[in-house]
Amino acid sequence: MKLKNLLLLSMIALIVAIAAACGTKEDEPSGNENDNANQSEDAGADEDAATLEGSVVIDGSGTVYPLMAKIAEEYMINEQENVSVEVSRAGTSAGFKKFLVEGGNDFNDASRQMKDEEAAEAESLGMEVKELKVALDGLTFVINPENDWAKELTPEQLISIFKADGNVQKWSDINPEWPAEDINPMGPNENHGTYEFFYENVLDKQDLADHVKLEQDYSTLVNLVSEDKNGIAFFGFGYYVNNTDKLQAVHVDFGNGAVEPSLETIAEDGDYADFTRPVFTYLNVDNAKEKAQVLDYALYVVNNVNTFAGETGFAPIPEEEVEANIEFLNGLK
Amino acid sequence: MDQAQEQKITRRINFRIVKNKMASGVFLAATLFGLVVLAMLIYRVVADGIGWLNMDFITGKLSTQPERAGIMGAILGTFWLMLVVTPVTMFLGIGTAIYLELYAKKGRLQAFIQTNIANLAGVPSIVYGLLGLTVFARAMNLGNVALAGGLTMSLLILPIVIVASQEALRAVPGFLGEASYGIGATKWQTIQNVILPVALPSILTGAILSLSRAIGETAPLVVIGIPALLIPFPGSIFDKFTVLPMQIYYWTIDSSLTAEYANLAAATIIVLLLCLLLLNSAAIIIRNKFQKQF
Repeated sequence: MKLKNLLLLSMIALIVAIAAACGTKEDEPSGNENDNANQSEDAGADEDAATLEGSVVIDGSGTVYPLMAKIAEEYMINEQENVSVEVSRAGTSAGFKKFLVEGGNDFNDASRQMKDEEAAEAESLGMEVKELKVALDGLTFVINPENDWAKELTPEQLISIFKADGNVQKWSDINPEWPAEDINPMGPNENHGTYEFFYENVLDKQDLADHVKLEQDYSTLVNLVSEDKNGIAFFGFGYYVNNTDKLQAVHVDFGNGAVEPSLETIAEDGDYADFTRPVFTYLNVDNAKEKAQVLDYALYVVNNVNTFAGETGFAPIPEEEVEANIEFLNGLK
Repeated sequence: MDQAQEQKITRRINFRIVKNKMASGVFLAATLFGLVVLAMLIYRVVADGIGWLNMDFITGKLSTQPERAGIMGAILGTFWLMLVVTPVTMFLGIGTAIYLELYAKKGRLQAFIQTNIANLAGVPSIVYGLLGLTVFARAMNLGNVALAGGLTMSLLILPIVIVASQEALRAVPGFLGEASYGIGATKWQTIQNVILPVALPSILTGAILSLSRAIGETAPLVVIGIPALLIPFPGSIFDKFTVLPMQIYYWTIDSSLTAEYANLAAATIIVLLLCLLLLNSAAIIIRNKFQKQF
């Protein structure tokens, strides 16, 4: 009978699925241990020729994601095609929750430094964590291409536009010669590390004005400003540099003349230093010692961050810091 | 009847006719609203995506470079996911419906379960994601693999399948079952040979429509934490995976960094829509082919 066969089939499928589930669970751990043992031996004996396999699991900041995804893809194409580097983008804080657990992720990307309580968590787990700075991002303020008055602003003027009691509603409140039209300030919402950086380092934890529109998606901000002559928004340099046809960047006058954010000026000792923030990836050092593919990938990342930073909208970090990271990682072998 | 009264009646009749026309206009507008939005969506998606839709795109691996990117990984991920969802949901869903409709005694407990199942159908999908993360990914230690994702998706659509199957079983005319009992068949024999075959087309229609919901759902998978960049193809239900709607989501939010991602997202939407269309037509064909009238 047709119906009987159908029922039988679905039952068999279910049983097979369950049986297979149990089977692999038993096999997997021992298999992996063997692999890892072999790999570390290989790595010790002859690191260049070794073909690695296994996976490298990365989660964390969505801001750092484009850079990490690019590096991961290049690594899989050019270095170790049998290693699967998996990059997720749950956000800096959510990522740390998956990183700071027993058997957690190998890396966590972060658009801010690790907080004290997160460091304490790592310590209580007895986990060794290494901070690797991967690139620099410049907080960029963007305006509509038709806006021909607010092309240069000081940090104080920018703050007065965004903060609660800045007494700035119209452009003419900043400069009487500018249009008497309402300014529409906007930015990413509290879920983003970019918001945290702006709130803590630029606004000095002063409240934002109620009329600042906070958005979840950067693409929304790009569209809003590109359609609004009176719009002004802030976000990472990458979102500006990929949309230069729709937006123009505000040149910021920190006291020594207006500075345009660019890959040259965004640096911790550069002209745009005040609005420059480093982005990181955190490495689980214990995992790197245990799994050869994690250490190998970590070395690939620190060796190549400056190659790929530019095309993903980040500024490079100084060579000395790269050297120091390479030295640290080589010490783990 | 005098002149004044006749005029009054005519006025009232005209008013009713106008009212009727207005009602028909309002409801036509309501119908068109959905259709127009859908047509606009399809037009935009096809205009953006059709140029990027080719064999290399469908069979290729995922990449951060738009011209190299392909979606075979996501197609296979969706396949493995459904390979878990389909048998689990069908078995548990139809099983629950048979028990509740045909075996369980009508009473307080049955009513309580019934109410809860109806309520579960309205729980937001992200809550099921949290459940899946806690139970399947963490407690059962499966990790974020297709099996865990599939079991979570099954939970999500189970209430819908149960309710639809119950409706289908209830619609089977009572005299069929009674005739079967009358010639001495047991309950299971009756269910197996009489009731289920009659109810099956409607059950399958409901189940297939729920399965298409599982294919398009992203929220539970976001919570379970499936990778945004995963290049190797998943080879079984125990591999990490990604699915078509997740890929659409990530490409859309990144389109302000790389403009071509918007086209890739549109092309992926076309593929997903075709899959859903295929499934829904299967549901219609099954319903028309096997439906018997009593």
